[in-house]
Amino acid sequence: KLNIGVDIIQHGVEGLVYLLTESSKLMASIPFDKEFGISEVDFQDSIHVLGFSDELNKSLLQLYLDNRKEIRSILGELAPRLPSYHSLEWRLDVQLASRSLRQQIKPAVTMKLHLNQNEDQTAQVLQTDPATLLHLIQQLEQALGEMKMNHCRRIVRNMK
Amino acid sequence: ILDDPDLKDIDPTVLKHCHAAAATCILEAGKQNADISAISTCLEDCKLDKERIEQFCTEYQKNKDALEILLGSIGRSPLHITDVSWRLEYQIKNNQLHKTYQPSYLVTLNVENSDSGSHPDISFSCTMEQLQDLVGKLKDAAKSLERATQM
Repeated sequence: KLNIGVDIIQHGVEGLVYLLTESSKLMASIPFDKEFGISEVDFQDSIHVLGFSDELNKSLLQLYLDNRKEIRSILGELAPRLPSYHSLEWRLDVQLASRSLRQQIKPAVTMKLHLNQNEDQTAQVLQTDPATLLHLIQQLEQALGEMKMNHCRRIVRNMK
Repeated sequence: ILDDPDLKDIDPTVLKHCHAAAATCILEAGKQNADISAISTCLEDCKLDKERIEQFCTEYQKNKDALEILLGSIGRSPLHITDVSWRLEYQIKNNQLHKTYQPSYLVTLNVENSDSGSHPDISFSCTMEQLQDLVGKLKDAAKSLERATQM
């Protein structure tokens, strides 16, 4: 419909994509918005060197502003990741007998840990005894407490 | 047993039979949680004299608890969690996205297999909210346990 070669359109699209992703990815210095990538001024300065018309520059800027949040969140998904926590199901079991020993009372907590890895969900069945469960809770509560400690707060505050 | 100097005069086959018989008797008694009178009666039926029965029963009583623990640990179960380690990190940037500024936790569960003993650990990352969810659920389980033991 545009009467231009396929190659030119492909290059055009690729160029646009590069422009938008790089702008969204980088954060220039002040003034900037933590959520949204480089500032308007920086963007305008950067594309100015390309020598397009003012009208085109304005359209590009608008395109950038409209889409940068979404682009950043998509780029965020691409980073290397470990499986991430999704949810946990649990139940209490008591083993009453087994082939090797009758008349037992052995409590256990059986859990199903749901994890996400790159859009696949895995479920792992795990078990633990009451003593270890209490230990797990204590350790993980300590972990949560760390975020509230001054050390962490200072770093989060200063690294922005 | 085959190397014991006190027993070297006895035919090894007989020794093996004795050992197997004693082991079977002990394991069955342990499995069924048999009391002393039941064991004595059983041994009487096998025509053992009183002195030997008494000796056997005394030794059995001494080791009964250890035996129960051993028998109870045999058997299949899902992967057993033995410990947990965690790491709190603050991400600054990655090659796809700069200035990410996100704290996250990396949790590793040490697990054991009932058969082979070791198993690769299970690791996963989570946000603070997700960790709070996890800890909340674990605490629910613990509370349930407490209530169950009071019933």
